[in-house]
Amino acid sequence: MTSEYAEATRRRGLRNLQGMPFVLPYLPFLVVFGIAPTVYALELAFTNVDGGWVAFHNFVRTYDDFRFVPAFKHVLVYTSVWLGTLVVFVVGLALLLHGRANRVSAGFRFLFYIPGALAGAASVLVWLFMLDPSVSPGSFLLHHVVGASIFAQSIAPGNLPFIFAMIAFWTGAGGWIVVMYGALNTIPPDLEEAARIDGAGPITIALRLKLPLIRKWIAYMVILSFATGTQLFVEPEIVQHASFGLVPDTWSANQLAYQMAFRYGDFNGAAAIAVDLLVIGLAGAVLIVTRSGLFRTDD
Amino acid sequence: MRLPALGVRFLILATFGIFFAVPILWLILAPTRTDKALIMGHPIAFGSFHQVALAWKHLDAFSGHIYRRWIANTLYYALSATAITLVVSVPAGYGLAIGKFPGRKLVLSLTLVVMIMPAAALVLPIFLELNAMHLIGRSLSVILPFAFFPFGVYLAYIYYVTALPPDLLDAARVDGAGELQTFLRVALPLAKPVLALIFFFSFVADWNNFFLPYVLLADSNQYPITVGLSDLLASTPSFNPSVGGGGQSVNIFKPELALATLLAVVPIAIVFVFSQRALVRGLVGGAVKE
Amino acid sequence: MKVNRRRLALTLLAAVAATALATSARGGHKASGVSGSITVWVDAVRLPVAKLYAKTHPKVHLNIVTYDGDGNGATTMQTKIQLWNRTNKGWPDVIFSEQANDPVWMGQKPFDYALDLKGVFPANLLKGWPKPSIAQCTVNGHLVCLQDNLAQEVLYVNKKLMSQFGYTVPKTWQQWAALGQKVAAQHPGYIIGTIGDSYGAWLYLWADKCPISQVTGVNTVRINASDVHCTRMAQLLDPLVKSGVVSYESVFTADFATKYGGDNDKILLMPGPVWYAKDIFSGTLHVPPGEMTAALPLQWNNEPLVTGQVGGGPWIVSKHSKNQAAAIDFVKWATTSLAVKGKVNALSPGYPSYAPAATVWLKSLNKDPYFAAPEGPAFQKAANLIWQGWSMVTYPDQPVWSNSVVTQLVAGKSLSSLLPALGHGLAQNAQAAGYKVVTN
Repeated sequence: MTSEYAEATRRRGLRNLQGMPFVLPYLPFLVVFGIAPTVYALELAFTNVDGGWVAFHNFVRTYDDFRFVPAFKHVLVYTSVWLGTLVVFVVGLALLLHGRANRVSAGFRFLFYIPGALAGAASVLVWLFMLDPSVSPGSFLLHHVVGASIFAQSIAPGNLPFIFAMIAFWTGAGGWIVVMYGALNTIPPDLEEAARIDGAGPITIALRLKLPLIRKWIAYMVILSFATGTQLFVEPEIVQHASFGLVPDTWSANQLAYQMAFRYGDFNGAAAIAVDLLVIGLAGAVLIVTRSGLFRTDD
Repeated sequence: MRLPALGVRFLILATFGIFFAVPILWLILAPTRTDKALIMGHPIAFGSFHQVALAWKHLDAFSGHIYRRWIANTLYYALSATAITLVVSVPAGYGLAIGKFPGRKLVLSLTLVVMIMPAAALVLPIFLELNAMHLIGRSLSVILPFAFFPFGVYLAYIYYVTALPPDLLDAARVDGAGELQTFLRVALPLAKPVLALIFFFSFVADWNNFFLPYVLLADSNQYPITVGLSDLLASTPSFNPSVGGGGQSVNIFKPELALATLLAVVPIAIVFVFSQRALVRGLVGGAVKE
Repeated sequence: MKVNRRRLALTLLAAVAATALATSARGGHKASGVSGSITVWVDAVRLPVAKLYAKTHPKVHLNIVTYDGDGNGATTMQTKIQLWNRTNKGWPDVIFSEQANDPVWMGQKPFDYALDLKGVFPANLLKGWPKPSIAQCTVNGHLVCLQDNLAQEVLYVNKKLMSQFGYTVPKTWQQWAALGQKVAAQHPGYIIGTIGDSYGAWLYLWADKCPISQVTGVNTVRINASDVHCTRMAQLLDPLVKSGVVSYESVFTADFATKYGGDNDKILLMPGPVWYAKDIFSGTLHVPPGEMTAALPLQWNNEPLVTGQVGGGPWIVSKHSKNQAAAIDFVKWATTSLAVKGKVNALSPGYPSYAPAATVWLKSLNKDPYFAAPEGPAFQKAANLIWQGWSMVTYPDQPVWSNSVVTQLVAGKSLSSLLPALGHGLAQNAQAAGYKVVTN
């Protein structure tokens, strides 16, 4: 064994731990507030109230609950609408904003972002008024697009997935636009210059150059939005309170999990529903991670 | 050929701008109007400054100036937790991006899994853990869970993977810098955009977090503004019929609620404006797009 | 000698008893000797009461926590009690809740929070609560709460409009419906009531003895939406809803206020609870002063008069309390003391459940110039008329009414056609909550 070989081996050994010290401070947080509670919840999902193992009984039991299927149906429709509009408009708006970075762009970014600053309870007041045709600034749209002349018609059951998607878009798009804009800023400007010199128009630059370069960010956004979409909670809760119960407090699956846990004290059932949502979210994540190479660090 | 494109671009941005802005405009104008005017007057109109002063008086008087305490609490929780998050998440993202240690992919996957787990199921175990640590009822019971910000770790990770040329790091190493030096001298200064992003998102997430403090905090004096706002809402007859008779004497109506909401948004708007500058900075190569 | 001794003993006993009765009946603004510390959870409206207690009872260290009141179907208290139970500490000694059915689940497993007040709360004071109120707070034989204020339903009358149009105030539901037909024809746009509130069932079905929330045994509830008491009321209401003279919007919506309140002033009559009085008509709906008053609740033909109730917040004492004496004293003072209940003000905005206090409170209410005529007499009579066949249960029934009935009424369906859905929805919720559902 030559000394060079030994040297290379030793260095390889060191390199095998490269990066780990930087991750160490994060690990206690990950374990205490992430992994341990998740494991606990997983355990709850497969046991009963006395701690005995019941395999899939909680899953079957919650599936049979009269609110389960409607709740999942609701989130399915909602997530499709929400994800579609989010990806198209967030990426589109970010690209439009990036086309010419100037003060106007900054102004629009601020405008798009500000609704995101309104947390749950804060939005109740605003949306109670926005959805009420008799006082809303958008009453024209409510009358002619939604066909509603009173509040109770705005939030008719058939409209709910779209109403929630609209509210969620209003509060959530701005944040992702900021992220995408930041992502676009990581593209070296020389690339853009080179493309422009080659004669590419702004749309070509946006779609052929910029878009592929922010693939990983878009993938991240889709993964998270898919999960947050299926785990919809805040918007139906808001509208439920604002409508004095016209919208049920178990409209979405996540709301049902919450009610199970706290209204009935059925933490095992709640954990089962949470695991259902986790599996759905993970399936989406795995699909996107593998297709977009999110975990690859070599490109 | 440029001009129509510009026009279309502006039109699209403006349309969305209106969608995002009009409800906010309503919110800004609402404290200037009386409750009656809000319901029976024109949707967008200005009332009077006097009404704003009155609304603030009522809001401040609610429950012994508790509104101020709520804002102060939220600032304290959000800033403390974000400080911890920055110190913990940025190096973690860096380590995951450049690292080759066994378990790297595991940490990434677990972080993602944990982010996807619904919060409703995690609340009970977190409560029990904090109880075992004797932290229930103390600020740390809120700050520590807030400081766990996997989203930030991912932001840093993606940033370092896509925007950090490995040659830069190798150059530093060849010069004899150790890993820590390389990070502090090269990687960290370059991370200003993502630092700003993480600071921004962490602060906002902490500011807006409702569920965890709602469950963990028993004393309303410790509430952050989100939980406080829902308390306020519950004290308004038009939002909570069960408050029954007596809601009137509490003096919280729509103008007061609107003011409370608006004031709660101001810190976020400020943080946004400051983070913007750093967000806009370009990258390796130094060009700054302003 | 023996006889004398016995008589002596009896006299002594009587004397002691008399003294005891006399001291407890004093109602006490003098701190009755309790001390120590207790924690009370109140909503914003009850905060002044807690503060005043702390001020007037310096020997008791009162830790006041304000919270959202758990109203409107919230699960705040369920969440908190679950977590306290898990760690075996943290329960407050006294809770005020805005949800009338909170004590029901608080008094049963798995929450098991409420103290049985029978035997602990002075029995002679308990007599001051109307029988329906005590019944509402009794779960499986235990008195798990005491109502702070009552919410009996009366018929609100716009005296000015009624005399302007030359109508007489109806005494029965039938007269009310007939008047409605007249109003729809002669004065379209005016209303005689609304069923769009989340508690619409309490106003119209409870008032007609419809058995869709009747606890008949331990964990057994009777839900029969096809009972004649339910169907006949629905049939009465259907044409009125169709013609618009009974609205399907909640009084708390902006649209309702715009259409029927304020300057439009189109509310002719309205069945509603006593707490509408000024807070809703003046505060929420901006109806001009000098118009509103209240009449007795409506009667079904010449059947005995009963009425419904919309809420009435309860006080609950913790069975884990380490200072039960102070906790009971607090509740006693908050519900019966005239320092709290004597006037209509921030301390006592609602109709006191404790009848002797109510009498004094009403004197103050009757003086209010907002009303066209004193509402007191109607309020007082209605307090004892609440039908006891509607029980509080662990699950809230308002959301079922809202999202299976009101949403469909808005879409044009009739109440009669929606009763089966209502019954079915209630049954599903009851079963999910662990009740056995019967129809008889």
